[in-house]
Amino acid sequence: MKNVYKLFRVAKRRAGLWGSLQGLVRPEYREVRAVDGVSFTLERGELVGYLGPNGAGKSTTIKMLTGLLVPSGGEVVVNGFVPWRDRARYVARIGAVFGQRTTLWWDLPVIESFELLQPMYRVPRERFRRSLDEFIGLLDMEEFIHTPVRSLSLGQRMRADLCAALLHEPELVFLDEPTIGLDVVAKERIRQFIRHIHRERGVTVLLTTHDLSDVERLCERLMILDHGKLLYDGSLADLNHRFESDWQIVVTFEEPYADISLPGFAPVRQGDLRAVYPFDHRRVASADLIQQLLQRYRIADLEVRRPPLEETIRRIYEERLLLAAPPPARVGM
Amino acid sequence: MWTLQMYLRLIAIQLRSQMQYRASFWLELISTGLLNGSIFLSLALILERFGNIGGWTLGEIAFLVGMIEMSFGCMDMIFSGFDPDHFSVWMRQGTFDQVMLRPINLFWQVLGSRFLLRRLGRILQGVVIFGMALTMVDIQWTIIKLLYLPVVLISQLITMGALFMMGSTITFWTIQSIEAVNVLTYGGTDMMSYPMHIYPAWLRSFYTYIIPFIFLNYYPALYLFGKPDPLHFPAFAPFLAPLVAAIFLTAALWFWRVGVRHYQGAGS
Repeated sequence: MKNVYKLFRVAKRRAGLWGSLQGLVRPEYREVRAVDGVSFTLERGELVGYLGPNGAGKSTTIKMLTGLLVPSGGEVVVNGFVPWRDRARYVARIGAVFGQRTTLWWDLPVIESFELLQPMYRVPRERFRRSLDEFIGLLDMEEFIHTPVRSLSLGQRMRADLCAALLHEPELVFLDEPTIGLDVVAKERIRQFIRHIHRERGVTVLLTTHDLSDVERLCERLMILDHGKLLYDGSLADLNHRFESDWQIVVTFEEPYADISLPGFAPVRQGDLRAVYPFDHRRVASADLIQQLLQRYRIADLEVRRPPLEETIRRIYEERLLLAAPPPARVGM
Repeated sequence: MWTLQMYLRLIAIQLRSQMQYRASFWLELISTGLLNGSIFLSLALILERFGNIGGWTLGEIAFLVGMIEMSFGCMDMIFSGFDPDHFSVWMRQGTFDQVMLRPINLFWQVLGSRFLLRRLGRILQGVVIFGMALTMVDIQWTIIKLLYLPVVLISQLITMGALFMMGSTITFWTIQSIEAVNVLTYGGTDMMSYPMHIYPAWLRSFYTYIIPFIFLNYYPALYLFGKPDPLHFPAFAPFLAPLVAAIFLTAALWFWRVGVRHYQGAGS
């Protein structure tokens, strides 16, 4: 995907009855850049998290990658296909789950929707059977496979949809918010399944999500989008290293000390025996700090605290941190 | 060939879905049958009083009504995926995106997405009216006329289906103008239920040159009855029905493709 942007013409709403009449006769449009010059490459077998606040342009990107939308400019090439140009042949080789919607037949038992996919994607019958049995086991679907889709819980429906998106053995899947609205157990099951198909089947996965624990558990690589622009593209470890400045060490002393100072640090007391030492882990290795503390004091307990990923990401959005240090440009897809 | 197979499978799965709601199926079947039947009954009562409309007897008008009810009913069943009232809801809900993610031709997928079996009520009612008409009119049947009748019915079906398609295609741009399209389809069938020479010239011209419904029902009926043409069209006029159907279907398919391209370009 290379320098892709997408413009939407949005009809301006005008106030009042007169305004809406005018809108009917002579609509005025303003242009919105939903995706604004985004470039990235996915390597075969990667599992990449795609993050961004609401309206950042994530769904628009996915729609362009699945051939639902034609980009206003730039180039999208996936596996040698231009998605929108050769839609039917292209979508046969990818899988997609849009968490909010189902592709299954609402009034029919889950299994009947699945069985239609075998001729639809022209999968050899035995192979299809094998995948289906495997997925039913992995996703624990035995109990509801004969239940009509309309009677499923959200978690069950999501599992069924994931299964449907993968039964034709696509090399590449787009998962748009696959854990949205699910409880912790259901989320974990879905994550395990995603990890499985990624590791065992080598499926390339692009995962959009609001849930950062999805990203922390699953993805090696992370892309952050905001206002249609790619703010970050790199590993999760690198992101932590670069943007988590405020780590802390929480110390519990064995006895109260009058002086808890340490040159270069500004500890905060929490009662007689506890103190918090904030530090910038990019300048000070936590091991060094711990060593210094152990030399000076008798310590009962010690805990290194990293800011949660939410905090880091929030700072990236708010301060647009990454604009100053753009990631190395990646070209083509 | 594979596309057609997939279409049939989609229809099969549709029918199985509908069987989940058996009670509503029978209710709707009976109620549409009764509703349309009562409309024809009131027409029959008026004719009883006045004897004829524009020189056409009750049997002859029943023939028109029967043909159009059969073909419209079949069309409404087969093309129900393209029913603009239904398709516009799809559009609003973004269901069309799901269709685009499946590796089947979009036209056949939409056609296969809905198959309203309960329209059988209307079809059946058309068959009854048509059967009654056959006992009341005097047609000199020939082999050609026997072969010609199904061609006319299929032409009606395809032309109205094409209008459904065009109506749905418009919703790629706007969902505000559905009513205008319904005037053509539902209004058009009402228009075709009467001998068209009774209409004022401007209305007749509209249904001759713009939406040429006159060649789908009125002229075929004239030909089958062996009636003289009060409008003095060339003698081939009754045989234009399949041509009208072919033109409308071609135009509708072309417009559909333009619509899909627009949808991908402008987004939802």
